Amino acid sequence: MLPKDCRFTKDHEWIRQDGDVYTVGITAFAAEQLGDVTYVELPETGAGADAHGELATVESVKAASDVYAPVAGTVAEVNSALEEKPELVNESPFGDGWFFKLSDVDVSQYESLMDADAYDNFLGEHAE
Amino acid sequence: MRQTPLYDRHVAHGGRIFDFHGWALPVQFKGIIDEHQHTRSAVSIFDCSHMGEFHIRGAEACRGLNYLISTDLGGLKVGRARYGAMLSPRANIVDDVISMRLGEDHIYLVCNAATLPVVAAYLDVHVPGNDNVSSQTAKIDVQGPQAAGAMAAVGLDAALQLKYFQVTETAWNGVHCIVSRTGYTGELGWEVFLPPKAAPALWDALLQCEGVEPAGLGARDTLRTEMGYPLSGQDFDFQHSPLESGQESFVHWDHDFLARDVLEAQRADNTHRQLIGIRTGSRRSPRHGFVVHDGDRQVGIVTSGTFGPSVGEGIGLARVNPDVAVNGKALTVGPRRIPVESCGPPFYTGGSCRMKLE
Repeated sequence: MLPKDCRFTKDHEWIRQDGDVYTVGITAFAAEQLGDVTYVELPETGAGADAHGELATVESVKAASDVYAPVAGTVAEVNSALEEKPELVNESPFGDGWFFKLSDVDVSQYESLMDADAYDNFLGEHAE
Repeated sequence: MRQTPLYDRHVAHGGRIFDFHGWALPVQFKGIIDEHQHTRSAVSIFDCSHMGEFHIRGAEACRGLNYLISTDLGGLKVGRARYGAMLSPRANIVDDVISMRLGEDHIYLVCNAATLPVVAAYLDVHVPGNDNVSSQTAKIDVQGPQAAGAMAAVGLDAALQLKYFQVTETAWNGVHCIVSRTGYTGELGWEVFLPPKAAPALWDALLQCEGVEPAGLGARDTLRTEMGYPLSGQDFDFQHSPLESGQESFVHWDHDFLARDVLEAQRADNTHRQLIGIRTGSRRSPRHGFVVHDGDRQVGIVTSGTFGPSVGEGIGLARVNPDVAVNGKALTVGPRRIPVESCGPPFYTGGSCRMKLE
Protein backbone atom coordinates (compact mmCIF):
# COMPACT_ATOMS: atom_id res chain seq x y z
CA MET A 1 0.00 0.00 0.00
CA LEU A 2 2.69 2.52 0.99
CA PRO A 3 4.96 3.66 -1.84
CA LYS A 4 8.47 2.30 -1.26
CA ASP A 5 10.17 5.27 -2.93
CA CYS A 6 9.03 7.80 -0.29
CA ARG A 7 10.07 8.88 3.17
CA PHE A 8 7.52 9.75 5.86
CA THR A 9 7.06 12.01 8.89
CA LYS A 10 5.23 11.51 12.16
CA ASP A 11 2.83 14.23 10.98
CA HIS A 12 1.84 11.90 8.13
CA GLU A 13 3.50 13.76 5.28
CA TRP A 14 5.34 11.88 2.56
CA ILE A 15 8.31 13.17 0.55
CA ARG A 16 9.76 11.68 -2.65
CA GLN A 17 13.18 12.49 -4.10
CA ASP A 18 13.52 13.08 -7.83
CA GLY A 19 17.02 14.41 -8.46
CA ASP A 20 17.33 17.75 -6.71
CA VAL A 21 13.58 18.20 -6.32
CA TYR A 22 11.49 16.65 -3.55
CA THR A 23 7.71 16.24 -3.87
CA VAL A 24 5.60 16.45 -0.69
CA GLY A 25 2.08 15.37 0.11
CA ILE A 26 0.03 13.85 2.93
CA THR A 27 -0.32 10.11 3.38
CA ALA A 28 -3.40 8.04 2.64
CA PHE A 29 -3.82 7.61 6.37
CA ALA A 30 -3.89 11.38 6.90
CA ALA A 31 -6.32 11.89 4.02
CA GLU A 32 -8.59 9.16 5.37
CA GLN A 33 -8.55 10.72 8.84
CA LEU A 34 -9.38 14.16 7.47
CA GLY A 35 -12.27 12.93 5.36
CA ASP A 36 -13.45 14.86 2.31
CA VAL A 37 -10.92 17.60 1.60
CA THR A 38 -12.66 20.84 0.61
CA TYR A 39 -9.84 23.39 0.43
CA VAL A 40 -6.05 23.46 0.26
CA GLU A 41 -4.05 26.60 0.91
CA LEU A 42 -0.68 26.31 -0.83
CA PRO A 43 2.53 28.28 -0.21
CA GLU A 44 4.02 30.79 -2.62
CA THR A 45 6.69 29.51 -4.97
CA GLY A 46 10.05 30.64 -3.64
CA ALA A 47 8.98 30.50 -0.01
CA GLY A 48 11.59 29.04 2.31
CA ALA A 49 10.83 26.67 5.13
CA ASP A 50 12.68 25.08 8.00
CA ALA A 51 12.14 21.43 8.74
CA HIS A 52 8.72 21.19 10.36
CA GLY A 53 7.86 24.72 9.17
CA GLU A 54 4.22 25.25 8.32
CA LEU A 55 3.78 25.44 4.55
CA ALA A 56 0.19 24.59 3.69
CA THR A 57 -3.25 24.20 5.20
CA VAL A 58 -5.69 21.47 4.34
CA GLU A 59 -9.36 21.80 5.21
CA SER A 60 -11.93 19.05 5.26
CA VAL A 61 -15.65 19.32 5.91
CA LYS A 62 -15.04 18.98 9.62
CA ALA A 63 -11.52 20.21 10.34
CA ALA A 64 -8.48 22.21 9.26
CA SER A 65 -4.88 21.00 9.64
CA ASP A 66 -1.45 22.36 8.86
CA VAL A 67 0.96 20.66 6.50
CA TYR A 68 4.63 20.97 7.39
CA ALA A 69 7.83 20.85 5.40
CA PRO A 70 9.32 17.42 6.15
CA VAL A 71 12.80 18.89 5.55
CA ALA A 72 14.18 22.40 5.16
CA GLY A 73 13.98 23.73 1.61
CA THR A 74 12.60 26.22 -0.87
CA VAL A 75 9.22 25.83 -2.54
CA ALA A 76 9.97 25.18 -6.19
CA GLU A 77 6.47 24.38 -7.40
CA VAL A 78 2.95 23.97 -6.01
CA ASN A 79 0.14 21.72 -7.20
CA SER A 80 -2.29 24.38 -8.38
CA ALA A 81 -4.72 21.65 -9.52
CA LEU A 82 -5.72 21.35 -5.85
CA GLU A 83 -7.28 24.82 -5.93
CA GLU A 84 -10.05 23.57 -8.20
CA LYS A 85 -9.98 19.91 -7.25
CA PRO A 86 -9.02 19.53 -3.56
CA GLU A 87 -10.64 16.08 -3.65
CA LEU A 88 -7.49 14.87 -5.45
CA VAL A 89 -5.98 14.64 -1.96
CA ASN A 90 -8.51 11.92 -1.09
CA GLU A 91 -8.53 10.27 -4.49
CA SER A 92 -4.78 10.07 -5.02
CA PRO A 93 -2.84 11.07 -1.90
CA PHE A 94 0.50 9.67 -3.14
CA GLY A 95 -0.03 10.78 -6.77
CA ASP A 96 -2.07 13.65 -8.21
CA GLY A 97 -2.88 14.89 -4.70
CA TRP A 98 0.68 16.10 -4.01
CA PHE A 99 1.02 19.55 -2.38
CA PHE A 100 4.35 21.15 -3.27
CA LYS A 101 7.91 20.49 -4.41
CA LEU A 102 10.99 21.56 -2.49
CA SER A 103 14.49 22.36 -3.73
CA ASP A 104 17.65 23.27 -1.76
CA VAL A 105 17.16 20.17 0.36
CA ASP A 106 19.89 18.57 2.43
CA VAL A 107 19.74 14.92 1.38
CA SER A 108 20.87 13.76 4.82
CA GLN A 109 17.75 15.34 6.35
CA TYR A 110 15.68 13.43 3.83
CA GLU A 111 17.42 10.17 4.59
CA SER A 112 16.90 10.60 8.32
CA LEU A 113 13.11 10.33 7.84
CA MET A 114 11.17 7.08 8.18
CA ASP A 115 11.10 4.73 5.22
CA ALA A 116 7.93 2.86 4.28
CA ASP A 117 8.54 -0.02 6.67
CA ALA A 118 9.30 2.29 9.58
CA TYR A 119 6.21 4.43 8.86
CA ASP A 120 4.09 1.32 8.59
CA ASN A 121 5.29 0.28 12.06
CA PHE A 122 4.68 3.81 13.32
CA LEU A 123 1.09 3.64 12.05
CA GLY A 124 0.64 0.29 13.74
CA GLU A 125 1.85 1.68 17.05
CA HIS A 126 0.24 5.11 16.99
CA ALA A 127 -2.82 4.94 14.80
CA GLU A 128 -6.26 4.32 16.32
CA MET B 1 -19.82 4.76 25.47
CA ARG B 2 -23.48 3.85 25.22
CA GLN B 3 -24.63 1.98 22.16
CA THR B 4 -27.90 2.41 20.31
CA PRO B 5 -29.82 -0.69 19.16
CA LEU B 6 -28.36 -0.04 15.68
CA TYR B 7 -24.70 0.00 16.74
CA ASP B 8 -23.91 -3.40 15.19
CA ARG B 9 -25.44 -2.23 11.89
CA HIS B 10 -23.22 0.84 11.83
CA VAL B 11 -20.07 -1.17 12.46
CA ALA B 12 -21.04 -3.78 9.85
CA HIS B 13 -21.73 -0.99 7.35
CA GLY B 14 -18.25 0.48 7.80
CA GLY B 15 -19.34 3.43 9.91
CA ARG B 16 -16.61 5.46 11.55
CA ILE B 17 -17.70 5.47 15.17
CA PHE B 18 -17.09 8.45 17.45
CA ASP B 19 -18.16 9.63 20.88
CA PHE B 20 -21.17 11.91 20.62
CA HIS B 21 -21.97 13.05 24.15
CA GLY B 22 -21.27 9.59 25.51
CA TRP B 23 -22.93 7.70 22.65
CA ALA B 24 -21.07 5.55 20.13
CA LEU B 25 -22.49 6.82 16.83
CA PRO B 26 -21.29 6.91 13.21
CA VAL B 27 -19.86 10.22 12.02
CA GLN B 28 -19.75 8.89 8.46
CA PHE B 29 -19.97 5.79 6.30
CA LYS B 30 -18.76 6.48 2.72
CA GLY B 31 -17.99 10.13 3.34
CA ILE B 32 -19.73 13.24 4.58
CA ILE B 33 -20.11 14.93 1.20
CA ASP B 34 -21.38 11.77 -0.46
CA GLU B 35 -23.96 11.22 2.29
CA HIS B 36 -24.94 14.88 2.23
CA GLN B 37 -25.55 14.86 -1.53
CA HIS B 38 -27.41 11.58 -1.28
CA THR B 39 -29.79 13.07 1.29
CA ARG B 40 -30.43 16.09 -0.96
CA SER B 41 -31.10 13.90 -4.01
CA ALA B 42 -32.44 10.51 -2.82
CA VAL B 43 -33.04 9.30 0.74
CA SER B 44 -30.83 8.68 3.77
CA ILE B 45 -31.55 7.07 7.11
CA PHE B 46 -30.04 8.41 10.32
CA ASP B 47 -29.86 6.71 13.71
CA CYS B 48 -31.02 9.26 16.28
CA SER B 49 -31.80 6.79 19.04
CA HIS B 50 -29.63 8.78 21.45
CA MET B 51 -32.17 11.59 21.64
CA GLY B 52 -34.62 12.07 24.52
CA GLU B 53 -38.41 11.53 24.56
CA PHE B 54 -41.10 12.14 27.18
CA HIS B 55 -44.82 11.53 27.40
CA ILE B 56 -46.63 14.42 29.09
CA ARG B 57 -50.15 13.32 30.02
CA GLY B 58 -52.97 15.24 31.66
CA ALA B 59 -54.22 18.81 31.34
CA GLU B 60 -52.20 20.09 34.29
CA ALA B 61 -48.98 18.49 33.07
CA CYS B 62 -49.50 19.93 29.58
CA ARG B 63 -49.98 23.39 31.11
CA GLY B 64 -46.79 22.87 33.11
CA LEU B 65 -44.90 22.03 29.94
CA ASN B 66 -46.31 25.06 28.14
CA TYR B 67 -44.90 27.24 30.92
CA LEU B 68 -41.40 25.89 30.19
CA ILE B 69 -41.50 26.40 26.42
CA SER B 70 -40.96 29.65 24.50
CA THR B 71 -43.66 28.82 21.97
CA ASP B 72 -47.32 28.60 22.97
CA LEU B 73 -48.59 25.03 22.84
CA GLY B 74 -52.09 26.16 23.83
CA GLY B 75 -53.26 26.47 20.24
CA LEU B 76 -51.40 23.39 19.06
CA LYS B 77 -53.95 20.99 17.56
CA VAL B 78 -53.92 17.23 17.98
CA GLY B 79 -51.66 15.73 15.33
CA ARG B 80 -49.39 18.75 15.08
CA ALA B 81 -45.85 19.42 16.23
CA ARG B 82 -44.20 22.68 17.26
CA TYR B 83 -40.58 23.70 17.69
CA GLY B 84 -39.57 25.80 20.68
CA ALA B 85 -36.97 26.46 23.34
CA MET B 86 -37.07 25.25 26.93
CA LEU B 87 -35.91 28.20 29.03
CA SER B 88 -34.11 28.58 32.35
CA PRO B 89 -35.12 31.13 35.02
CA ARG B 90 -32.51 33.45 33.47
CA ALA B 91 -34.21 33.06 30.08
CA ASN B 92 -31.34 31.06 28.66
CA ILE B 93 -31.91 28.01 26.49
CA VAL B 94 -31.90 24.69 28.31
CA ASP B 95 -32.59 22.90 25.03
CA ASP B 96 -34.55 23.17 21.83
CA VAL B 97 -37.43 20.73 21.79
CA ILE B 98 -40.27 19.59 19.58
CA SER B 99 -43.65 19.22 21.25
CA MET B 100 -46.03 16.86 19.47
CA ARG B 101 -49.68 16.82 20.51
CA LEU B 102 -50.85 13.22 20.35
CA GLY B 103 -54.12 13.86 22.24
CA GLU B 104 -56.09 16.70 23.83
CA ASP B 105 -54.07 16.24 27.04
CA HIS B 106 -51.12 14.28 25.73
CA ILE B 107 -47.90 15.80 24.41
CA TYR B 108 -44.86 13.88 23.22
CA LEU B 109 -41.69 15.87 23.84
CA VAL B 110 -38.42 15.31 21.96
CA CYS B 111 -35.10 16.75 23.17
CA ASN B 112 -31.37 16.36 22.57
CA ALA B 113 -29.15 13.68 24.10
CA ALA B 114 -26.56 15.83 25.87
CA THR B 115 -29.19 17.98 27.57
CA LEU B 116 -31.53 15.13 28.48
CA PRO B 117 -30.62 15.06 32.22
CA VAL B 118 -31.25 18.80 32.54
CA VAL B 119 -34.49 18.67 30.57
CA ALA B 120 -35.62 15.80 32.79
CA ALA B 121 -34.80 17.82 35.91
CA TYR B 122 -36.80 20.82 34.67
CA LEU B 123 -39.74 18.59 33.81
CA ASP B 124 -39.63 16.92 37.20
CA VAL B 125 -40.06 20.33 38.83
CA HIS B 126 -42.71 21.80 36.54
CA VAL B 127 -44.38 18.77 34.97
CA PRO B 128 -45.12 16.20 37.67
CA GLY B 129 -45.91 12.77 36.32
CA ASN B 130 -43.89 13.23 33.13
CA ASP B 131 -42.86 9.92 31.65
CA ASN B 132 -39.25 9.78 30.46
CA VAL B 133 -39.21 7.05 27.80
CA SER B 134 -35.80 7.92 26.32
CA SER B 135 -34.18 4.61 27.18
CA GLN B 136 -37.15 2.69 25.76
CA THR B 137 -37.20 4.61 22.49
CA ALA B 138 -35.18 4.31 19.30
CA LYS B 139 -35.47 6.88 16.52
CA ILE B 140 -34.78 6.53 12.84
CA ASP B 141 -34.89 9.63 10.63
CA VAL B 142 -35.81 8.97 6.99
CA GLN B 143 -34.85 12.06 5.01
CA GLY B 144 -34.65 13.01 1.36
CA PRO B 145 -36.84 13.94 -1.61
CA GLN B 146 -37.49 10.22 -2.26
CA ALA B 147 -38.31 9.40 1.37
CA ALA B 148 -42.01 8.85 0.66
CA GLY B 149 -41.23 5.85 -1.52
CA ALA B 150 -39.20 4.23 1.22
CA MET B 151 -41.85 4.86 3.88
CA ALA B 152 -44.53 3.32 1.66
CA ALA B 153 -42.32 0.39 0.74
CA VAL B 154 -41.74 -0.61 4.36
CA GLY B 155 -45.43 -0.26 5.21
CA LEU B 156 -45.41 3.05 7.07
CA ASP B 157 -48.15 4.39 4.82
CA ALA B 158 -49.68 6.45 7.60
CA ALA B 159 -46.70 8.78 7.25
CA LEU B 160 -47.75 9.81 3.76
CA GLN B 161 -50.89 11.51 5.10
CA LEU B 162 -48.85 13.93 7.18
CA LYS B 163 -48.03 17.49 6.21
CA TYR B 164 -44.90 19.27 7.42
CA PHE B 165 -44.82 19.27 11.25
CA GLN B 166 -47.70 16.85 11.63
CA VAL B 167 -47.52 13.67 13.71
CA THR B 168 -49.41 10.41 14.08
CA GLU B 169 -49.33 7.15 15.98
CA THR B 170 -49.28 3.96 13.98
CA ALA B 171 -48.07 0.39 14.08
CA TRP B 172 -45.18 -1.18 12.25
CA ASN B 173 -44.46 -4.88 12.32
CA GLY B 174 -46.87 -5.23 15.21
CA VAL B 175 -45.27 -2.57 17.40
CA HIS B 176 -46.54 0.88 18.30
CA CYS B 177 -44.61 3.76 16.83
CA ILE B 178 -44.88 7.51 16.53
CA VAL B 179 -44.17 9.10 13.17
CA SER B 180 -43.68 12.82 12.63
CA ARG B 181 -43.01 14.70 9.43
CA THR B 182 -40.04 16.53 10.82
CA GLY B 183 -36.28 16.39 10.50
CA TYR B 184 -33.01 18.24 10.66
CA THR B 185 -31.99 18.26 7.01
CA GLY B 186 -34.37 20.57 5.14
CA GLU B 187 -35.58 17.65 3.04
CA LEU B 188 -38.85 15.77 2.90
CA GLY B 189 -38.78 13.22 5.65
CA TRP B 190 -40.00 11.63 8.80
CA GLU B 191 -38.77 10.75 12.25
CA VAL B 192 -39.90 7.31 13.40
CA PHE B 193 -39.95 6.64 17.16
CA LEU B 194 -40.22 2.97 18.09
CA PRO B 195 -39.12 0.43 20.69
CA PRO B 196 -35.37 -0.39 20.55
CA LYS B 197 -36.06 -4.07 19.88
CA ALA B 198 -37.95 -3.21 16.70
CA ALA B 199 -35.42 -0.70 15.37
CA PRO B 200 -32.94 -3.09 13.68
CA ALA B 201 -35.71 -4.69 11.62
CA LEU B 202 -36.98 -1.30 10.44
CA TRP B 203 -33.42 -0.17 9.67
CA ASP B 204 -32.85 -3.32 7.59
CA ALA B 205 -36.20 -2.96 5.82
CA LEU B 206 -35.44 0.65 4.91
CA LEU B 207 -32.00 -0.29 3.59
CA GLN B 208 -33.68 -2.79 1.27
CA CYS B 209 -35.62 0.03 -0.40
CA GLU B 210 -34.43 1.58 -3.61
CA GLY B 211 -32.19 4.59 -3.14
CA VAL B 212 -31.81 4.31 0.63
CA GLU B 213 -28.35 4.70 2.19
CA PRO B 214 -27.29 5.19 5.81
CA ALA B 215 -25.84 8.56 6.74
CA GLY B 216 -23.83 9.65 9.77
CA LEU B 217 -23.87 12.62 12.07
CA GLY B 218 -21.28 14.40 9.90
CA ALA B 219 -23.73 14.77 7.02
CA ARG B 220 -26.51 15.54 9.47
CA ASP B 221 -24.41 18.50 10.62
CA THR B 222 -23.62 19.87 7.15
CA LEU B 223 -27.28 19.46 6.13
CA ARG B 224 -28.60 21.30 9.17
CA THR B 225 -25.97 24.05 8.88
CA GLU B 226 -27.00 24.73 5.27
CA MET B 227 -30.54 25.20 6.59
CA GLY B 228 -29.34 27.47 9.41
CA TYR B 229 -30.78 25.12 12.04
CA PRO B 230 -28.97 25.67 15.34
CA LEU B 231 -27.18 22.87 17.19
CA SER B 232 -27.72 22.37 20.91
CA GLY B 233 -24.66 23.19 23.01
CA GLN B 234 -23.02 24.97 20.11
CA ASP B 235 -25.25 27.66 18.58
CA PHE B 236 -27.27 27.95 21.77
CA ASP B 237 -26.58 26.86 25.32
CA PHE B 238 -27.30 27.57 28.97
CA GLN B 239 -25.49 30.92 28.66
CA HIS B 240 -27.61 32.42 25.89
CA SER B 241 -31.22 33.43 25.43
CA PRO B 242 -33.41 32.84 22.37
CA LEU B 243 -32.82 36.46 21.35
CA GLU B 244 -29.07 35.80 21.32
CA SER B 245 -29.54 32.54 19.42
CA GLY B 246 -31.58 33.51 16.37
CA GLN B 247 -34.72 32.14 18.00
CA GLU B 248 -36.83 35.26 18.41
CA SER B 249 -39.47 33.95 16.01
CA PHE B 250 -39.91 30.99 18.37
CA VAL B 251 -40.84 33.21 21.29
CA HIS B 252 -44.59 33.67 21.64
CA TRP B 253 -44.69 36.73 23.86
CA ASP B 254 -48.42 36.56 24.54
CA HIS B 255 -48.29 33.34 26.52
CA ASP B 256 -47.02 33.01 30.06
CA PHE B 257 -43.66 31.26 30.28
CA LEU B 258 -40.83 30.95 32.77
CA ALA B 259 -38.55 34.01 32.69
CA ARG B 260 -40.72 35.92 30.26
CA ASP B 261 -40.03 39.11 32.26
CA VAL B 262 -36.27 38.52 31.95
CA LEU B 263 -36.56 38.03 28.22
CA GLU B 264 -38.81 41.08 27.85
CA ALA B 265 -36.23 43.18 29.65
CA GLN B 266 -33.50 41.90 27.33
CA ARG B 267 -35.65 42.70 24.32
CA ALA B 268 -36.38 46.21 25.61
CA ASP B 269 -32.72 46.83 26.37
CA ASN B 270 -31.85 45.64 22.85
CA THR B 271 -28.07 45.50 23.30
CA HIS B 272 -27.77 41.72 23.24
CA ARG B 273 -25.63 39.81 20.77
CA GLN B 274 -27.34 38.16 17.84
CA LEU B 275 -26.83 34.98 15.86
CA ILE B 276 -26.19 35.61 12.16
CA GLY B 277 -25.29 33.55 9.13
CA ILE B 278 -21.87 33.97 7.53
CA ARG B 279 -20.61 32.83 4.14
CA THR B 280 -17.07 32.90 2.82
CA GLY B 281 -17.84 32.95 -0.91
CA SER B 282 -14.87 30.60 -1.28
CA ARG B 283 -13.93 27.02 -0.45
CA ARG B 284 -12.49 28.12 2.89
CA SER B 285 -14.65 27.38 5.90
CA PRO B 286 -15.32 29.21 9.13
CA ARG B 287 -14.83 26.97 12.18
CA HIS B 288 -16.49 26.70 15.57
CA GLY B 289 -14.67 29.02 17.98
CA PHE B 290 -13.19 31.38 15.38
CA VAL B 291 -13.19 35.00 16.54
CA VAL B 292 -15.17 37.39 14.31
CA HIS B 293 -13.59 40.75 13.45
CA ASP B 294 -15.01 43.91 11.93
CA GLY B 295 -11.80 45.51 10.74
CA ASP B 296 -9.55 45.34 13.81
CA ARG B 297 -12.45 45.20 16.25
CA GLN B 298 -13.42 41.88 17.81
CA VAL B 299 -17.20 41.60 17.40
CA GLY B 300 -18.16 38.00 18.06
CA ILE B 301 -17.50 34.29 17.73
CA VAL B 302 -18.31 31.58 15.21
CA THR B 303 -20.64 29.01 16.78
CA SER B 304 -20.87 26.63 13.80
CA GLY B 305 -18.79 26.44 10.66
CA THR B 306 -18.38 24.00 7.84
CA PHE B 307 -18.08 23.62 4.12
CA GLY B 308 -21.58 23.50 2.63
CA PRO B 309 -21.55 20.80 -0.06
CA SER B 310 -24.81 21.96 -1.69
CA VAL B 311 -23.87 25.63 -1.73
CA GLY B 312 -20.20 25.08 -2.59
CA GLU B 313 -18.75 27.49 -0.09
CA GLY B 314 -17.84 27.85 3.57
CA ILE B 315 -20.82 28.71 5.76
CA GLY B 316 -21.57 29.10 9.42
CA LEU B 317 -23.38 30.79 12.25
CA ALA B 318 -21.83 33.44 14.48
CA ARG B 319 -22.90 35.31 17.59
CA VAL B 320 -22.00 38.98 17.09
CA ASN B 321 -22.54 42.46 18.46
CA PRO B 322 -25.85 43.94 17.33
CA ASP B 323 -24.25 46.72 15.27
CA VAL B 324 -22.76 44.22 12.81
CA ALA B 325 -25.82 41.94 12.74
CA VAL B 326 -27.00 43.26 9.39
CA ASN B 327 -27.12 41.48 6.06
CA GLY B 328 -24.23 42.01 3.68
CA LYS B 329 -21.74 43.15 6.29
CA ALA B 330 -18.10 42.37 5.41
CA LEU B 331 -16.35 40.68 8.35
CA THR B 332 -13.41 38.32 8.88
CA VAL B 333 -13.12 35.14 10.95
CA GLY B 334 -10.30 33.18 12.51
CA PRO B 335 -6.56 33.74 12.95
CA ARG B 336 -6.09 34.04 9.19
CA ARG B 337 -8.89 36.59 8.89
CA ILE B 338 -10.90 34.70 6.31
CA PRO B 339 -13.28 37.21 4.68
CA VAL B 340 -16.98 36.48 5.21
CA GLU B 341 -20.23 38.23 4.49
CA SER B 342 -23.11 38.21 6.93
CA CYS B 343 -26.40 36.89 5.64
CA GLY B 344 -29.65 35.56 7.01
CA PRO B 345 -29.80 31.76 6.93
CA PRO B 346 -30.92 29.48 5.33
CA PHE B 347 -27.96 29.15 2.99
CA TYR B 348 -29.68 26.40 1.01
CA THR B 349 -33.19 27.05 -0.25
CA GLY B 350 -33.79 24.07 -2.54
CA GLY B 351 -34.94 21.68 0.19
CA SER B 352 -37.97 19.45 -0.20
CA CYS B 353 -39.21 19.50 3.42
CA ARG B 354 -42.53 21.16 2.55
CA MET B 355 -43.14 19.06 -0.55
CA LYS B 356 -46.82 18.28 -1.15
CA LEU B 357 -47.52 14.57 -1.37
CA GLU B 358 -50.25 13.19 -3.65
